[in-house]
Amino acid sequence: IMADDKDVLRDVWFGRIPTCFTLNQDEVTEREAEPYYLLLPRVSYLTLVTDKVKKHFLKVMRAEDVEEMWFEYEGTPLKWHYPIGVLFDLHASNNVLPWSITVHFKNFPDHDLLHCPSNSVIEAHFMSSIKEADALKHKSQVVNDMQKKDHKQLWMGLQNDKFDQFWAMNRKLMEYPTEDGGFRYIPFRIYQTMSDRPFIQKLFRPVSPEGSAHSLGDLLKEMYPDAITNDGEQKRYQVVIHGIEPLLETPLQWLSEHLSHPDNFLHICVIPVPTD
Amino acid sequence: GEVPSLLSAPPSAVRAAERWLDLGGGSGEEGSEEGYLRKTALRSVTLDSESAQKQEGSGSDSEPHTSCPSSVEPHGQEGEQPDCIKDDTDDDDAGICTVTESSSQVLQFEYHILYSCSYSSPVLYFRAFTLEGRSLSLEEVWSSVHPNFRLRLQNSPLNTITQQEHPLLGQPFFVLHPCRTEEFMRPVLQVAQDQHRPVNYVLSWLSVVGPVVGLDVPLKYSTLVHPASSVSSTEPD
Repeated sequence: IMADDKDVLRDVWFGRIPTCFTLNQDEVTEREAEPYYLLLPRVSYLTLVTDKVKKHFLKVMRAEDVEEMWFEYEGTPLKWHYPIGVLFDLHASNNVLPWSITVHFKNFPDHDLLHCPSNSVIEAHFMSSIKEADALKHKSQVVNDMQKKDHKQLWMGLQNDKFDQFWAMNRKLMEYPTEDGGFRYIPFRIYQTMSDRPFIQKLFRPVSPEGSAHSLGDLLKEMYPDAITNDGEQKRYQVVIHGIEPLLETPLQWLSEHLSHPDNFLHICVIPVPTD
Repeated sequence: GEVPSLLSAPPSAVRAAERWLDLGGGSGEEGSEEGYLRKTALRSVTLDSESAQKQEGSGSDSEPHTSCPSSVEPHGQEGEQPDCIKDDTDDDDAGICTVTESSSQVLQFEYHILYSCSYSSPVLYFRAFTLEGRSLSLEEVWSSVHPNFRLRLQNSPLNTITQQEHPLLGQPFFVLHPCRTEEFMRPVLQVAQDQHRPVNYVLSWLSVVGPVVGLDVPLKYSTLVHPASSVSSTEPD
């Protein structure tokens, strides 16, 4: 069982989404730009892994026409600070591959998107998620006991796609006192596109007061009951984590330990069932 | 310790908070009481762009910030979280416009107070627009912070301003990260407890962090409190 669990960690880390980047038609170019194809890591961030995309399109543009790069899918600006896999599952999972993303270099939508002037902004965002997750799991004790170089190791592991380097440190964040049966609270966010609210994040324990393990279904019943299909009803929504639909009976603690993103959050997408 | 409920503060302080903070809507779900406290204000601000540029990199280049909490639940099912105030009256007490001699412009600031359940503390979100509707950049926001505060923030990278997504609205806001909230609030709560004085937690917290980003808590919202008679006359001050 332990060997299988480690496989899950690897499968999550190495998940990829084939993507086709096309330049926005309204950009001013000196000649036609070819689309650029890339396999995007599900667990990383758009602005961290698209240097090659930028270089490719800059070749056909004049410097004065280039402002901050941003991405859009079918009219929706893509939030770079969400993990790539979350963006895909939320907006494009039931469409054909490759994922077609449009690249922009002007008219940055500053009412929708955070600016990303450098990699240190991504690092700060990533580390703040890790710290918040540990506040929930361990009252920040584990992350505060780490040294600066340990924090750096987590970031470098993500940035350079180094699974072993990352998990050598991250495993500490996944420990808990045996007698507790799990973390203090589970770091999670539930995303949906049916309303304006970007996500749901609240306090939720992995173990009930009586000592039984909470499941994914228990979490949804409390936080997003619409996502659950009742007996006799037709299924309206899919509950997707890393592109798959885990069984609702899956223990939440196990999901948190194995299907969290590198930022230590369980990112859950609730999407309408495709109507073919 | 537990965060005292705002509603346990003396009625006058609660009404004072209600006067200038109205409750912004949440997702509008039926029965949802989630929301945030919000104030908009016009401020005449001098954007000191030259010295601001030296500040702008300070947050990002030093150690990663303990970026604070973007999670929300101003009041939830659990008893330890403070309650939110519903307010029907919107006070026209917008900010003061002062005329300064150097070049200044009038900006519209919007302040939101949310509660982070992850850190059990309030968080201040804000954004600013020119009157034409252009959003201010991080550099411009930094330059609107009073130089004295700017210096203090620069020296403690854990208390800084960064851009984050508003957890209910999904739009970019600036956030002041008082990750040491507990540190500076604890003495306030302790002293109040020792003196058997009620404390309006959010107002006290806001009076410390607010002015950094131009949100003033007017004096009239502080109340003159008469300490209750001590239980033990030998208690030290």
